[in-house]
Amino acid sequence: MSEELIAPVKQLIIDALRIEGMSPADIDTDAPLFGDGLGLDSIDALQLVVAMEKEYGVVVPDAATGTKVFQSVRAMAAYIAENRK
Amino acid sequence: MICFMFPGQPLAKVPTLPDDAEFAEIAAIACDRTGLDLESFAWRGEPATDQVALQIYGAAMGLYRNRVLRRAGFNPAMAAEHSMGIYAALAAVDALPEGEALELTSRIGRTLAGMGKSGSYALGCVTGLSAAPVLALAENNGVYPANYNTSRHFLLAGEQHGIEAAMAEALEAGAFSVSSFPADAPLHTPLIEAIAPELHNVVADYRFSEPQVPLMEHIEQDFLTAADIPGFLVRELCLPVRWEATFLAIRRAGVTSLLEAGVGESLKKYNRWIAMEHG
Repeated sequence: MSEELIAPVKQLIIDALRIEGMSPADIDTDAPLFGDGLGLDSIDALQLVVAMEKEYGVVVPDAATGTKVFQSVRAMAAYIAENRK
Repeated sequence: MICFMFPGQPLAKVPTLPDDAEFAEIAAIACDRTGLDLESFAWRGEPATDQVALQIYGAAMGLYRNRVLRRAGFNPAMAAEHSMGIYAALAAVDALPEGEALELTSRIGRTLAGMGKSGSYALGCVTGLSAAPVLALAENNGVYPANYNTSRHFLLAGEQHGIEAAMAEALEAGAFSVSSFPADAPLHTPLIEAIAPELHNVVADYRFSEPQVPLMEHIEQDFLTAADIPGFLVRELCLPVRWEATFLAIRRAGVTSLLEAGVGESLKKYNRWIAMEHG
């Protein structure tokens, strides 16, 4: 189930963060989204929280959950699959 | 209609510096006027704090990006600045020569650093809470709002113990993330008024020309004249940065393209959020 969400989640990241010149294929499914991976920061994370809620009705309630959810695209997809409405 | 945006002090040096003639020239000016060797990040002249070094680095990168963008054919119809981005912005609009902008950055930074000898200060970043709870927890802990970046991104400044307590309270209140950083001085707070006379003395050593490109300031979103600049340079350190209001004013002025001239993309990210909320 969550595997099907991998490509849409990558597109959501690109769209929500308005990343120019990058396609879903350029994003490593298992790479960290923050720090050495995609290089996102807390401002980006909050933007992704809003986008996930808008697109899938999924809420990231607190910072601790966010830390787990935004470990990678795969973690995001799994969280959405488990919590989508 | 293009606007160049000059961000404030970076939190860290990017590992790799630009490797071209433009940056080499800026770095040489920086070393000559401030004593900081940007390549090694070591002081060749009178040493100062790491925060001062980052302020000079930020200004140098702003000047560099301004040169690169202009060389690429981008000509700004206006400019805007955030916090210590003002120094590079002044040079970019021809209100001050590049060397003087770097020197002024260093001298203001060193003056601010004097506060750190008698106190321990920090900045605290809160993401995810709205203004009301952030202002309440700032008051609870005796610290001050220093940046209103977006409706959900704020920087607080004050004494280190107050910032640490405020960050803990912000997490308890449901902040999405918090972080804190050491600072030489409580930037953009009324506490800076204690050294305002010294700052005025520094600024008085410079002669500012009329900006050749309209330069919007971040307090009341007015365009600075040469006569405004000396007072603004001290006042802006005593008052919070209002970036959300500035971005909205830039858009109302007819700007269609904003290019960030400095380290990183923080302003671009703030703008993305504000645009999402305001359409």
